[in-house]
Amino acid sequence: MALGLAALLFIVLCALPVFYMLGVSLVGADGAFSLNHYFRLFAEVRQLDLFLNSLLLATATSLLATAIGAPLGVLLARADLPAKRALRILLIIPLAVPPYVMGLAWIYMGSDSGIIAQATGRDFLSPLTYSLTGAVIVLSVSFYPLAMLAAEAAARGVDARMEEAALLVAAPRRVLWRITLPIAAPSIAAAALLIFVLALSEFGVPGLLRVPVFTTEVFTAFSALYDFGAATALAVPLLALALMAGITARFMIGERLLVGRRGARNRSPLSLNSRRAGLAVTIALALFVLLPIAALALETGRAERMILALRSSVEAITNSLTLAFVGATMAALIGLLLGYARARMHRFAGTVDLAMIVAFAAPGTVIGVGLIGLWNRPGLMEEIYRSRLIILIAYLARLIPVAALILAAGARQVPASFEEAGEVAGAKWTRVFARITVPQMRAGIIAAWVVSFILAFGELGATVLVAPPGQATLPAHIYTLIANAPSGEVAALALTQSAVVMTLLALFAVFVFREKRLHS
Amino acid sequence: MNDSFLRLVNIVKRFGRREVVRNLSLEAAEGEVVALLGPSGCGKTTVLRVIAGLEAPDEGEVWIAGRKVASDGINIEGPRARHVGFVFQDLALWPHMTVAGNLDFALASVSVARRERAARITEALRMARIESFASSYPDQLSGGEQQRAALARAIVSRPGLLLLDEPMSSLDTELKGELIGEIAALQRSLQVTTVYITHDRAEAAALAHRVAILREGRIERIDEIASL
Repeated sequence: MALGLAALLFIVLCALPVFYMLGVSLVGADGAFSLNHYFRLFAEVRQLDLFLNSLLLATATSLLATAIGAPLGVLLARADLPAKRALRILLIIPLAVPPYVMGLAWIYMGSDSGIIAQATGRDFLSPLTYSLTGAVIVLSVSFYPLAMLAAEAAARGVDARMEEAALLVAAPRRVLWRITLPIAAPSIAAAALLIFVLALSEFGVPGLLRVPVFTTEVFTAFSALYDFGAATALAVPLLALALMAGITARFMIGERLLVGRRGARNRSPLSLNSRRAGLAVTIALALFVLLPIAALALETGRAERMILALRSSVEAITNSLTLAFVGATMAALIGLLLGYARARMHRFAGTVDLAMIVAFAAPGTVIGVGLIGLWNRPGLMEEIYRSRLIILIAYLARLIPVAALILAAGARQVPASFEEAGEVAGAKWTRVFARITVPQMRAGIIAAWVVSFILAFGELGATVLVAPPGQATLPAHIYTLIANAPSGEVAALALTQSAVVMTLLALFAVFVFREKRLHS
Repeated sequence: MNDSFLRLVNIVKRFGRREVVRNLSLEAAEGEVVALLGPSGCGKTTVLRVIAGLEAPDEGEVWIAGRKVASDGINIEGPRARHVGFVFQDLALWPHMTVAGNLDFALASVSVARRERAARITEALRMARIESFASSYPDQLSGGEQQRAALARAIVSRPGLLLLDEPMSSLDTELKGELIGEIAALQRSLQVTTVYITHDRAEAAALAHRVAILREGRIERIDEIASL
């Protein structure tokens, strides 16, 4: 019953907006089946540019982010670095901070009076600020932690015996290149694909840096031109690309998507030069974490401006915190049931994974337009559409697939025999689930909640479309302020957004540290 | 001066506070096969890893072919310089390379010319009776075939010392018997000094000239198999 309800919620909240977009794109002005929207779009030369821009942005981001993240991950796995856990958390900050905040930092950093121009006395970044290259750099900084985490986990998963067998004949560097990295490669490639999908569906950064791509075009077609048909048809190539990337990733790493590689049984004999590794990590922290925060702080200027900005945005901040809290809690609960069902599933497992990946990859603006089309109807639905509940629904549409994927991985770690022992002892399924399975998945549930909260708190693409007047969240509020308010106020709010996320990340790090100490 | 090819002198190895190898001394003459026999956890594998240079002994010395390669906590020569062949208990075949690729990596790493590599690979595969699987990947092989591939990889670089760590623990009795015979024949033709780890007396008897019985990190007895 509970599992059925969770599946129903997934279908209604996550799958329906996507299918709705597909359906509407195939209906003409007279209500009959028609490919007119597509003919109209593909007849425009501009669409080809749009397609190329989107593809270029996603591909270049995926390559650059992996080029930054994968070596850092290998260093974290193989170099003897002090305070490694703290370093890892610090290096994850750019992923936790919403990409558009990093985009704002980039704008302030690169301006002719920005931190770079001030420090070097030369203004060489401003021509790049509002460009495709700029968007690639910002998104690569935002997403490199994904490649880093994947590479670290994969390198740790390489059996030490394989490396030892090679060390008998080869130098450590050769062993790293020929044995460790090729074995870890599928996981790193899957992370690169995930980054590709995320960059493809990202709206905030290209919107901010004025790079026309499919996501920004969906937004413009809908909110400026109110061309619903065009907005839906534009979403289809995006979804198709996301689906292809999802299928490739699924085939590439198979069940590892859920299981995660078994940890190496032995301590790796490969140890990289810790001084050089320390230098590389320090440079990464300075460039990707300290510099953006410093740029935002510098733009904010005085502390009074921060207080002033906070006072004027109390409602948006409260709104964001409340909705992200409720959204993350609901997503974790629904994701728990869905993830559990997926983990214990034998048939259709691949299809369910794909559905979740595509639902996760669906861009915020696509979900936003889909939700408006679905919920903007007379009666109770309109009541919901005009309230904050629609933002919550948008959050759930985006968060449930992520939470479910994380918790499916968690559920796979609980041996089925634990539950069978409970059942043999005479307990009902609900009791076994609540008393045996869920406690074993505690760390996964908290991780899913934290990830969901961070994503909800920074959600922009869908919220900016569905938020009712006067009910904006912090990201939507900042996005509308960018054009009409002094940059100091915008920077102050972006800094607040980052501070909330970093506090949560720090708390989570303390939790993980305590858990590990408890188990060791 | 001592004419042993391999000589371990008063080796001590600790992991944290636990002393895994305790004052162990062992010698093997050139071409001799010595089996280390003992129950799980008695330190057999650690001794082999110390010989290979994968662990440094906390105390004592390791000599190979007249060279002191480790002494009191320091590996004077690393694993590569010791020129040993090693068959790991779980075989550790590199999954992303074919059988021939596994062998080629070992040879290319010690700078053997390409033309010679091909000939050496064919020879090693033939000796391990696995030549028809040269282009197969490890996961396409059966347990016994994987065993042969690991053995071929260990001998392809013509090592001075062959170390075998319970290589047949996962095989069924029939296959084990067949492979023991083959390893014995291979050893006789190569005349390579070999240290063989096992907890199976029959295996030790079939292969070794001498058997050392290990208990709690110490050699309890060492003698020819007939005397034991």
